[in-house]
Amino acid sequence: MIARLGNLTHFGALLFFALVVSLTFAFLSKRDITERAKYTLWAFLAFLLVAVGIGWLMYPFSQ
Amino acid sequence: MTKEVVKGNQMMGIVAAFAGWLVPGLGHLVLRRWSKAAVYFLCVGGLACAGLAMRGGVFGAAAEDLFDRLGFFADLGAGVFYFLAHQIQSAGPDVAHATGDYGTRLFAAAGMLNFLTVLEAYDIGRGGETK
Repeated sequence: MIARLGNLTHFGALLFFALVVSLTFAFLSKRDITERAKYTLWAFLAFLLVAVGIGWLMYPFSQ
Repeated sequence: MTKEVVKGNQMMGIVAAFAGWLVPGLGHLVLRRWSKAAVYFLCVGGLACAGLAMRGGVFGAAAEDLFDRLGFFADLGAGVFYFLAHQIQSAGPDVAHATGDYGTRLFAAAGMLNFLTVLEAYDIGRGGETK
């Protein structure tokens, strides 16, 4: 199980990080289960959007 | 909807915080917050194990510069996962590759995330939150 986590691609690691942190933040800040689900989804998508956005901005410097 | 006020005290807060730091989620388990305990253990533990499985580095106590000291502080937050890092990560760290570098960050993030849960456990334990 733990070894399989080591085979994550970089994007897979990003997805895993975003999901885990979003879930923890939702449980830290919200009490109602519906609010938690909404917050998890919102934060997860925000993490992805920001990561892809920063990646896109940094792309010209990688050339 | 009525809210039950959790009766707590300073000592309960400290015990819950220490337990939560040592084993992520244990502080909430002590305070009978079952769902939070399970989620925090799985999330912090999963993140820490992923970091170690990706062969991320773990900062030691003998830090030489400020960055290493900050890294040590962040890693220490993972509690038992920090102390068992060498057992979990039998192959050792490999930060020469990007995956290992990502693993280092994931493990540090797990520690910082656990510090947040510790603060919450302390707050609930001392009676600062309604159930």
